[in-house]
Amino acid sequence: MEGLFYNADDGYLEAIVRGYRSSILNNTSYINLTQCETLEDVKLQLQASDYGGILQNEPHMSTSMLAQKCTDKLVQEFEYIRAHAVAPLQHFLDYMTYAYMIDNVILLITGTLHERDTHELLERCHPLGVFDSMPALCVATNVAELYNSVLVETPLAPYFKDCLSAEDLDEMNIEIIRNTLYKAYLEDFYHFSQSFGGPTAEIMGELLQFEADRRSLNITINSFGTELTKDDRAKLFPNVGRLYPEGNLKLAKSDDIDQVKATCDVFLEYRQFFDGTSGAGTTKTLEDRFFEYEVHLNKKSFQQQFHYAIFYSFLKLKEQEIRNIVWISECISQGQKERINNYIPIF
Amino acid sequence: MGVYSSQGGGTSVSSLFPYLSISGLGLVGLYMLLTGSGEQFNPGEFLMSISPHMWSLLGIALCVGLSVGGAAWGIFITGASLVGGGVRAPRIVTKNLISIIFCEVVAIYGLIMAIVFTAKLNNVQNSDITSSEMYYKGFALFWAGLTTGMCNLVCGVSVGITGSSAALADAQDGQLFVKVLVIEIFGSIVGLFGLIVGLLVSGRVA
Amino acid sequence: MSGANNRLAVFPTRMTLSVMKQKLKGAQTGHSLLKRKSEALTKRFRDIVKKIDDAKRLMGKVMQVASFSLAEVTYITGDIGYQVQESVKNAQFRVRAKQENVSGVMLPVFESYQEGANANELTGLGRGGQQVQRCKETYIKAVETLVELASLQTAFVILDEVIKLTNRRVNAIEHIIIPRYENTIKHIISELDEQDREEFFRLKKVQGKKKEAAARDTLERESRQAAEGAHSNSPENAEAAVLSADPSLADPGDLLGGEDDDIIF
Repeated sequence: MEGLFYNADDGYLEAIVRGYRSSILNNTSYINLTQCETLEDVKLQLQASDYGGILQNEPHMSTSMLAQKCTDKLVQEFEYIRAHAVAPLQHFLDYMTYAYMIDNVILLITGTLHERDTHELLERCHPLGVFDSMPALCVATNVAELYNSVLVETPLAPYFKDCLSAEDLDEMNIEIIRNTLYKAYLEDFYHFSQSFGGPTAEIMGELLQFEADRRSLNITINSFGTELTKDDRAKLFPNVGRLYPEGNLKLAKSDDIDQVKATCDVFLEYRQFFDGTSGAGTTKTLEDRFFEYEVHLNKKSFQQQFHYAIFYSFLKLKEQEIRNIVWISECISQGQKERINNYIPIF
Repeated sequence: MGVYSSQGGGTSVSSLFPYLSISGLGLVGLYMLLTGSGEQFNPGEFLMSISPHMWSLLGIALCVGLSVGGAAWGIFITGASLVGGGVRAPRIVTKNLISIIFCEVVAIYGLIMAIVFTAKLNNVQNSDITSSEMYYKGFALFWAGLTTGMCNLVCGVSVGITGSSAALADAQDGQLFVKVLVIEIFGSIVGLFGLIVGLLVSGRVA
Repeated sequence: MSGANNRLAVFPTRMTLSVMKQKLKGAQTGHSLLKRKSEALTKRFRDIVKKIDDAKRLMGKVMQVASFSLAEVTYITGDIGYQVQESVKNAQFRVRAKQENVSGVMLPVFESYQEGANANELTGLGRGGQQVQRCKETYIKAVETLVELASLQTAFVILDEVIKLTNRRVNAIEHIIIPRYENTIKHIISELDEQDREEFFRLKKVQGKKKEAAARDTLERESRQAAEGAHSNSPENAEAAVLSADPSLADPGDLLGGEDDDIIF
């Protein structure tokens, strides 16, 4: 049924996004890129692609500049979509930016606590997560004040309700706040996307469930041997995803990677993440496998029409592409050719 | 009921509407039945009391209206995707106008049928209007028009959605265009079925 | 450099001679000691040069690995540089300086140690934490190599200075001080000999004069005796004694003006 009415509001944007998608580098381009000897060659290769225009006026190539330019381009495309979007899609796109907003807020809080130059910090925020009252964040000294003065007007306000109890903002707490916020965000986004029904709910459900599960797994693995207690860890797991609830419960009690592995063994898709990670021959890390699976899911969402998940997938794929380009150019500039093929091909 | 609706809030009034109307109608029907005036509720007589001209003209209106509606719907579904896809791949625009034409054809089916139906209309004397031939003509034109109209509406939507996919597929890969177009042609044939049946039904009318 | 100019202005006495001889001996001992020190330092220096070479190569490798692991982190978690920078409170990795004694030279040695808990251990909790930790470890290794290299480099510079200084000293002793003492000693000895010879000549002269006087006495006595008619058989002897003393008596200035060839010690 969504085919009947979807195009009235979002058909144009969907086609635009599909157009953007076709500019994502394919395997041939990646193979050409990996053959490059210098960054100038990379530039030459990218001239032929969609990135040609933005690199034209750059006399000196560096990986950070490349990343910056590519991100700028992505943001520009995203802003174009956002400017043309109407009601439900607009809200959906806003939800997508909340993740970056969380990162920015945390960055600013951390910076403020250490009395850094706020203007410098504002420049370094992710452009997708910029919001109007952001500079005002620099005055806060504890979470409650922060919440009452600034964040209550932002869309992030509901997410902060879980972590208002944290009084002092030290390094550990900030990381916990970040993850608590992200957890709340994921849950909210999940329920929001489910409210659409149809393919949007179906595909976004799969994507966000994986995102949530990946977070749970990562938090578990990364918190081994740290000061984070098991109770605190359990609080950071998103309450969505395929691992929820019994998988999360098991993860919360895990002490080593084998227990995590046992938890994931129940799920066919997740089992492969841990297959052969300990083998010496494979250079792929767990994160690489996560990325691969994420790309796979995001690719799948382009197989259907008339749903919102392609906007999300497009952003994620494009981010992966930027990561790939930066990785390849980093390998080239550092002369580490043997690992250059660790990128995740998209199409 | 009022208590419920006020509790339900603004958004749930629309979802309650079918239940409200059904129960309202039920109450009226029961009232009429129980007060001995159930005879007054007589759909057959109601239908018979409508003029056959009314039926034929209604059929013609539905035929052309639904067809044009279907065509328009299809065109906007295709058009939106076509315009968006044309931003990145301008070459698809001209080629995919064929999808628009397929949608347009649906409206033309409806128009042709409406013209055919109109040709069957003729003025009759006052006494002839209640004859069974006239009733037959009226009902036949009505249902032929409705059949054609509904078929064309669905066909238009179908062609529109397929056309939208065709435009997007073509934008990604030029080879896909012909393949999706074949599917689109099958979709557009559906409208033709309605047209044939409509012709057959109205063909019985003298 | 040798010659009469290059000697100490001392009064040539036996006392001074023995002092000078002692000094010469001291200078020679000092020379050999310094020579040995310089050799030891040079050996150490070569070791350090070798170590620096190794460390620099190692550093190249380690830094490469480290910056690549940072690239890995950037790949997975995005740019966390600012986040890490902002959350740093105090240094976890510290350097302390010690001193090491090599042949009397104090070389500073830098020692790295870690203080406090593992900082940033929760960075990238949601994503890429493992890579962040690995990157941190690689960089700690890299900084350790740097610290090692720094202490080697400082030692290199200081040792270089000290070796130059020592070599200068060795050369000074070898080429200036020792010849000077030797010359002085030679001079003192020659002066002393001169004195000896003068003394000897003087004694000889005195003896000759005495003998002459004695002969004259004898002659007078004999002539008196002869005159008195006494008989004596000693005039030949007295004549010979007068004759033997005669040549030196004949030309006394010739001794001073003549060559020293006949002087044998």
